[in-house]
Amino acid sequence: MRARVTSVLLVVVALLLVALVPRPSRAFGEEGAFNPRILLTGTARWEGARTTGPARWSEELTRRTSAPARLTPTTVRADAPALLAEPFAIWGGEDDVPALTDREVLGIRRFLALGGVLFVDDFAPESGAFGKAARRELARVLPDGAPIPIGTENVLFRSFYLLRRAVGRVEGEPKLEAILRGGVPQVIFAKHDVLGALARAANGTHPFVVVPNGEPQREQAARLAVNIAMFVLCSNYKDDQVHAPFLMRRRAAEPSP
Amino acid sequence: MTTSLAPSGDLAPSYQLLAALLTVLGIVLLALELKRSRGSRLLAFATGSLASIGLLCAVLRPVAIQSKGSLVGPRVVVLADASRSIDLPGPAGKTRREEAVRALGELQKHGAEVRLYGLAFGKGAPTPLTAALANGAAEGTQSGPENRLGQALLAARPMPRSDLAGAIESVARAADERPAAIVVLSDGRFDRPGEAQAGEAIRAALGTLTVPVHAVSLATEAPRDASVRAVRAAGAAVAHQPLTLRVEIGCAGGLDCDEVPVSLRELRESGEPTLLASGKANASSGSATLELEVTLDRAGARILEVSIDAPDGDVVPDNDTRYVTIDVARDRVRVLHVAGRPTYDVRALRMWLKADASVDVVAFFILRTPTDDVVAPSEELALIPFPVDELFSEHLPSFDAVVLQDFNAAPYGLAKHLRSLARYVDKGGGLIMVGGPDAFVPGNYAGTPLAEVLPVELDRGPDAQGVDVASFVPRTTEAGRAAPVLGPLRDLIGEEWPEMPGANVVGDARPGATVLLEHPTRRTPKGGPMPILALGEHGSGRTIALAIDGSHRLLFSAFAANAAGRAHGAFWDALLGWLMRDPRFEPAVVELADGCIAGEDTTLTLRPLPGQKGDAKITIRKLGTGEEARTLSAKLDGKGEPLSLDAGKLQPGGYSATVEIVPSDAGAPSDGAASAQRGPTTRRDFACERGGDEWADTRPDPERLAAIAAATGGKSVTVDQIGSLPLPAATQIAAERRVSPLLPPWAWTLGAAMLVGAHWIVRRRGGLS
Repeated sequence: MRARVTSVLLVVVALLLVALVPRPSRAFGEEGAFNPRILLTGTARWEGARTTGPARWSEELTRRTSAPARLTPTTVRADAPALLAEPFAIWGGEDDVPALTDREVLGIRRFLALGGVLFVDDFAPESGAFGKAARRELARVLPDGAPIPIGTENVLFRSFYLLRRAVGRVEGEPKLEAILRGGVPQVIFAKHDVLGALARAANGTHPFVVVPNGEPQREQAARLAVNIAMFVLCSNYKDDQVHAPFLMRRRAAEPSP
Repeated sequence: MTTSLAPSGDLAPSYQLLAALLTVLGIVLLALELKRSRGSRLLAFATGSLASIGLLCAVLRPVAIQSKGSLVGPRVVVLADASRSIDLPGPAGKTRREEAVRALGELQKHGAEVRLYGLAFGKGAPTPLTAALANGAAEGTQSGPENRLGQALLAARPMPRSDLAGAIESVARAADERPAAIVVLSDGRFDRPGEAQAGEAIRAALGTLTVPVHAVSLATEAPRDASVRAVRAAGAAVAHQPLTLRVEIGCAGGLDCDEVPVSLRELRESGEPTLLASGKANASSGSATLELEVTLDRAGARILEVSIDAPDGDVVPDNDTRYVTIDVARDRVRVLHVAGRPTYDVRALRMWLKADASVDVVAFFILRTPTDDVVAPSEELALIPFPVDELFSEHLPSFDAVVLQDFNAAPYGLAKHLRSLARYVDKGGGLIMVGGPDAFVPGNYAGTPLAEVLPVELDRGPDAQGVDVASFVPRTTEAGRAAPVLGPLRDLIGEEWPEMPGANVVGDARPGATVLLEHPTRRTPKGGPMPILALGEHGSGRTIALAIDGSHRLLFSAFAANAAGRAHGAFWDALLGWLMRDPRFEPAVVELADGCIAGEDTTLTLRPLPGQKGDAKITIRKLGTGEEARTLSAKLDGKGEPLSLDAGKLQPGGYSATVEIVPSDAGAPSDGAASAQRGPTTRRDFACERGGDEWADTRPDPERLAAIAAATGGKSVTVDQIGSLPLPAATQIAAERRVSPLLPPWAWTLGAAMLVGAHWIVRRRGGLS
């Protein structure tokens, strides 16, 4: 009995000591790192082969650029206060989604009002069910915003790589769509299943085949993901006048698509 | 005592006149009658006339009036010029002030019958000359009854303006006795009235007072002098944009001014002034205007020195150098934003900089390090080289502020430019270093010239800790609570900050720096709380150290949502505003209402913000040498009322007045953290020159005085001609009067009856009826 009390006391003391130690909740410098969080709505759960996609996104970003990123991205619910912790989230799916609750609408609206960027990735562009549902629900969040096509003229296509079109697991349409705010994309719609192209199993194999161009297309999908991340981190930095002459020369040197 | 005769007061004056007329008529009729008759006409006329006069006397009954009285002189106001220009050379080797003293003496002699009332005019309403004596300002002066006004003028403090029109308006509207004449003693070089239509302006100033204004010229000949008469800017001064300055050079007294070298230099915090432009003026005709184009890169009050190399024989060398304070505005604030890597903190700051229409931002972010594998040839990348050499050598002066955010100086070639970046700050540029894993000590800034301009010290030891990864909530210092720079943020979030995921490790605040936020637990080597946000002044520029990389949480977080994300903008708007000396974020305003004239007492006006309580310490340093000229202090009672501080007599040159306000509730340092007790500071640059505008043009203007006299019916004379001034005559004023009849009434009646009887007898004997 006495030994048991002593054990409990030791545990309590240990817990107190742990509590008193300053919390390195995130290492200094990681607070502002890119975090491709998955936004969950309704009763949705984050599972399946694409769950490795966000980590791969971060990995590609840190490997290719100077930007820091969370290598173990998290998920966040649309009605959770944590949605306001960081300015980026990914909303993806294959099927139709139930209507957002009022709390979810309010949560996403506050997220966007603060300047957050939402990437809407249609995992099944062949059917387009999720894409249509997401547009329908986001119209409730932003009644005044309507998606418009964005192509190579947009900063998203030159925020790190000079991209000639958008691709993912499927080639899809060359353009993305976006709801703009102040001239820059705030909600980005992709009908390309970008996370599907990024997903990679622990053994290094890719669970989804990229069609029609295989691995070169997967590379282009990774570049699109890097560009989206860089856009989130730098906003319209590459629209600055100082970059214009360089980028115009390079664009001019590109072969026509 | 005087005696006079007058009729009795019984009869009204009209009857008295009628009686006199009847008497005259009677004598005339008698004369006509006697002319036609024969016999002794002379006797008849004599007795007849006497009888008529006797009858008149019986009617009027004359009385004797004895009265006592005195002569009272009219009031004559003497307006003596007390502007600085009367200390310029006058005739015969004397100053104009000495000539004015002589003039007052001559006036007192010539106007012995008038009451002279001396006033000194210059700026504002004229002041009684005797006040200067009463104030004891004339040390060693004799104030006997003889030329007391002159002694008072010797004691009068020179004024920065010469407003005769204002002085005359004041005299004309005064409620006391109106003057019978006004006498002006001056050299004629007025601010008001101007050269054109001076007479009309003075007549208008007199209003309903119609008195002559006499003028006494204190000088008629210009001294041998070449001077910088005026420096005018053609338009507003905007940073980075060419500005044309028109420099008017004067030449008088027969000097050889064919080629007068003119130079225009900017005073610096330390070191010699920087030459901005130069030229040569041909002022042989008496004056010349030279246009010099300059470009001022720094906004705020900039002090320019305009000087000439005067020809030999110049008797007033003090006006060869003038100082001009140019308030340089910004069209837009040009900010160079350099970030070592893209993060949410970089994103937040960039979004704010781009959203502010008054900010012109040039950004360079390091998007790729040499070790990154981009998996693409360079032509497929939207990356451009970081033009570090071009930016920090050629283009640096064109920026108002530089933001180094989480940027390592070593790998990207910035290290070799740190000295020029420090010089940039010294010359007036703004610098903000924002924290991150590659800022401050980890960013290789410790021990560099740039570290010297930061408001915090950096540990340069080999084992120096760069970052502290423990989360914490920044704490607002006492200075932070009082500083207007955190005011907008306080209005939104109070003093509570969101939790920060660690901080850069920095040392103590440098002398003169102000710590607004501090670490709640971490200490500096000296034992004080570690600064998190510190503001500092270095040379002519300002620097900010922000040792965290989480200010974006003011924009995007559950905490930020409470203020709708506006806290981030409020925070950075104020930081950049303070860096650019935006008056909204200065803890106080320092002014010099009367400017600064070398060798004369200078008064600073300190305007604190309402609610500020504590001690204000004002340190005046000379620009160029940094030598401390004065240290003043004042108590602030929280009412926000302006305080006048006597800075004493300063030498010619540029100065900076730095005000530090230590809140009264700051308390004593408990842990050796002297730096944390330092209050918010503000600064004002100013210049002192000898003579100022009043000495810029040394020529007297007797023509203007003559015009004023002519327009008002007065006379214009020199001091030697004061005796010819037509001063008004004195007036007799009665004080006592006694009336006594010459004879009793019955005696007048009896006398008249006897004279009438005698005349009747003479007439009968002469055969007249």
